Amino acid sequence: MLNALLLMKQELAVVAIIFILLILKLGKDRSNVTFLNIVNTLLLLNVVAGFFWNSEGVLFNEMFRTNPLMILEKNILSLGTLIISMQSYSWLKTHKHVPEFYILLLSTLLGMFFMISGGNLLMFYLGLELSTIPLAAVANFDLTKRQSSEAAMKLIISSAFSSGLLLFGMSMLYGTTGTLIFSQLPAALNGSDLQIFAFVLLMAGFAFKISVVPFHLWTADVYEGAPVAVTSYLSVISKGAVLFVFVSVLYTVFKPLAGAWYNMLFLLSLLTIIIGNLFALRQDNFKRFLAFSSIAQVGFILIGISGSSQLGSTSVIYFVLIYIFSNLAAFGVVILVSAITGKESISDYKGFYKTNPVLAWILTIALFSLAGVPPTAGFFGKFFLLMAGAAKANWMLITIAALNMVISFYYYLRVVKAIFMDKNEQPIERVAMPLMPRLALYVCIIGIIATGLVSYVYDYIHSLTAPF
Amino acid sequence: MSLVEIIFWFLSGLALISAIMVLLSKNPVHSVLWLIAVFFAISGHYILLNAQFLAIVNLIVYAGAIMVLFLFVIMLMNQNAETEPRSKSTWIKLAGAIAGGCLLIVVVAAVRDSENLIQNIGGKAYAKTAVTTHGEIGLIENLGRVLFTQYVVPFEISSVLFLSAMVGAVVIGKKD
Repeated sequence: MLNALLLMKQELAVVAIIFILLILKLGKDRSNVTFLNIVNTLLLLNVVAGFFWNSEGVLFNEMFRTNPLMILEKNILSLGTLIISMQSYSWLKTHKHVPEFYILLLSTLLGMFFMISGGNLLMFYLGLELSTIPLAAVANFDLTKRQSSEAAMKLIISSAFSSGLLLFGMSMLYGTTGTLIFSQLPAALNGSDLQIFAFVLLMAGFAFKISVVPFHLWTADVYEGAPVAVTSYLSVISKGAVLFVFVSVLYTVFKPLAGAWYNMLFLLSLLTIIIGNLFALRQDNFKRFLAFSSIAQVGFILIGISGSSQLGSTSVIYFVLIYIFSNLAAFGVVILVSAITGKESISDYKGFYKTNPVLAWILTIALFSLAGVPPTAGFFGKFFLLMAGAAKANWMLITIAALNMVISFYYYLRVVKAIFMDKNEQPIERVAMPLMPRLALYVCIIGIIATGLVSYVYDYIHSLTAPF
Repeated sequence: MSLVEIIFWFLSGLALISAIMVLLSKNPVHSVLWLIAVFFAISGHYILLNAQFLAIVNLIVYAGAIMVLFLFVIMLMNQNAETEPRSKSTWIKLAGAIAGGCLLIVVVAAVRDSENLIQNIGGKAYAKTAVTTHGEIGLIENLGRVLFTQYVVPFEISSVLFLSAMVGAVVIGKKD
């Protein structure tokens, strides 16, 4: 009994936090500041507790399974959620529905945990739904803005469509194999045409969620309309969770179809990198810019996955960790600036260094890491991804990816130039940093530098991943 | 031709004709009514498969609740021929038809292919598609038992999903 509870410790912890929030909401009125302090403390406890009492096992007819790698992935997501929660302090301080915001956000986190741990396509599907439907409600949390409602509408329609594709694929897969259980599926896959077709549909469902290029059309609009905190959650946490599952499903369940998915990944990653980069070149809204940059980053991740080796899965998890730190550092600055001044376009950031030197440096380091400039972790992450992809000796793919890194340098450094060199008559005024956002930003910066330089992180992930 | 086969063909024909009429009707309210006919035909199929629970739920939820919602929305939005967007060019229609047709060919070919893959191993025929071993899984009693034993975790998680969806809807819908 105790063992079973320990296996589900992270899920139980999140549920417990949701319950505590519910009781706090029902109790006497508290100011937002006390409430936010309580929530952030609870989330911090959640992250810390995630590192203890690790165990491995299977529960409920293989509906739920866990191992140290999954625990690590969940810890990464919990950490990201804590950072976002701390960064959105200034925005939430004046918001009317803070408890609901956290209840919805944490139920999506719960969904992601179940999705990562699911050992059955049904569990995976439910986890995925639980991690997207409440997010659409959260995307509407700028209740007075029309754009925010538009974002929520687009998110829910596109996610419903992708769920439809996913379910169609799953039902065909069930029709041809007679099982939904991950551990039994590989033996039942024989590569018949119907199975390949089902797999294509599943792949399309995944591609929607991580916004790979032919399926990316919702991304920029949703990112632009949603509140910045929600945008950062969407682009980092929910994408990261789906990527974790994507790698493990491709590498274990669909291993018999490896020949088929290599070709798909090859095509998708080329399209994603090129189109993501070219569209990022001409964006002026910071959120749209980061949306297209995140599409391009996913393209690089797909190259890593296509390597189909242990190095592939290690480098993907490593890169997602780095991506969380660097993207959250960038978003953290945007959240602060947007909450206080309401300015969200890149041209507003001209002369930002003159008024906010600390924030300017944090944003610069984050952008360097996203671009992959050597001392930051982003360089190591992309390097390992391309290394993993190069194992297939498909030099055309690697060359095009490397050329695209040069393009990406141009648009990331364009922002840096605007911050440091461009003159502006009315620069953004000095933005005050409350304690919590400041701490969160410092954690991100330490993460950006340390994850790349401390080789223990990479070695630890590598020791947990399974050989292909 | 047995009675079951006759009913099967009748229901299939009804479902297809109604589905085509959903698309062809100019009046959206007529489309919705035809859609209800589709759901009735599909519920008939479920009963043929001995899935009584699914048949009833399909009627109550889809033909009942969801269709009423559809009708409400259509009436509130006051859709008619004048408000329809007229921007669809012939090329887009052609491209859509070709893409849809290709998808249909691929699906049909894939299904046909797996039908031909019945293997003969040791004197027994093994299908490449899964075969249901017994026809009583769709009865309410059996479904309930499976739902609360084997599939209890997904069942409970779906309740969390509904709860969070409700919280979201209330927050968005609140006036103040």
